[in-house]
Amino acid sequence: MASRVTSDSPNSDASGSASQDHEKEDSKNFECNICLDTARDAVVSMCGHLFCWPCLHQWLETRPTRQVCPVCKAGISKDKVIPLYGRGSTDQQDPREKLPPRPPGQRAEPENTGPFPGFGFGDGGFQMSFGIGAFPFTFFASTFNFGNDGRPAPPQAGSPQHADEQFLSQVFLFMAVFFIIWLMLA
Amino acid sequence: MASMEKRLQKELQALLRDPPLGVTVDSDKTSRSLSEWTVDLEGAPGTLYQGEKFQLAFKFGPRYPFESPQVIFTGSNIPVHPHVYSNGHICLSILTDDWSPALSVQSVCLSIVSMLSSCKEKKRPPDNSIYVKTCSKNPKNTKWWYHDDTV
Repeated sequence: MASRVTSDSPNSDASGSASQDHEKEDSKNFECNICLDTARDAVVSMCGHLFCWPCLHQWLETRPTRQVCPVCKAGISKDKVIPLYGRGSTDQQDPREKLPPRPPGQRAEPENTGPFPGFGFGDGGFQMSFGIGAFPFTFFASTFNFGNDGRPAPPQAGSPQHADEQFLSQVFLFMAVFFIIWLMLA
Repeated sequence: MASMEKRLQKELQALLRDPPLGVTVDSDKTSRSLSEWTVDLEGAPGTLYQGEKFQLAFKFGPRYPFESPQVIFTGSNIPVHPHVYSNGHICLSILTDDWSPALSVQSVCLSIVSMLSSCKEKKRPPDNSIYVKTCSKNPKNTKWWYHDDTV
């Protein structure tokens, strides 16, 4: 507890050359916002704030019911941080030190920029859909897709696209329910 | 424990090297033990506390920075402010519920200076006398009720 403070004098780094200052500035940009050291097992939150994974994990454990970013108080969770892999930094570490394990990175498939997908018979697939019942009560409609129809795979859970698509599907569901209720009442 | 000392060491060096206006770490008292700091504050110019000098006592637990430090006004001059009790306890949300490990001694000091600066009328909290009689020594044991964002 009674450790001595090695207080360097305020002018000690005034003699440092410009390049040293620059280097110092650079490494400051990669300091963990919790331990103030260069981030180790670095992760970055969706709001863009950098932490050591052990530091952030400890903070998330401290208040499990209210997990917020220490810097900006945005909502944050274990699934919503991205690990940073610098060149050559991953295999230098003893994996035993990596407790708690850092969450894995998410890999989304690259966007398909081919011709407009989902239409046409020619391009590598056959699509057919049929339904029973009168519009709009096509509850038993189903769609068959054979082969690779050129549509990109759905985005991975947790990615922003996934969140967008979830939102959109909820909007459409809401519109459908609203329409049916409106039909019933009208 | 080691991480707490390392971080306090870094904070202290940064504060000694580049102190914000009106904030001075008493390095003699502080260097004896890193877990207790004394910081001198000066009332900001152009405010009700202009020219006044105050002293803050910081106490850091072993779980710092994941847990907030205990911060009270000490010394002979306790500011007369609606959120500062006459025993030095401060009603400030970042010292308990809204603490974050990204905060630091420097940001706490600046928040307190800013809290003083926005004061319009020097007066004690309405419940000062009863609180001072009944409170625990550690303000972190008080269940604070944060209701006033204006001062």
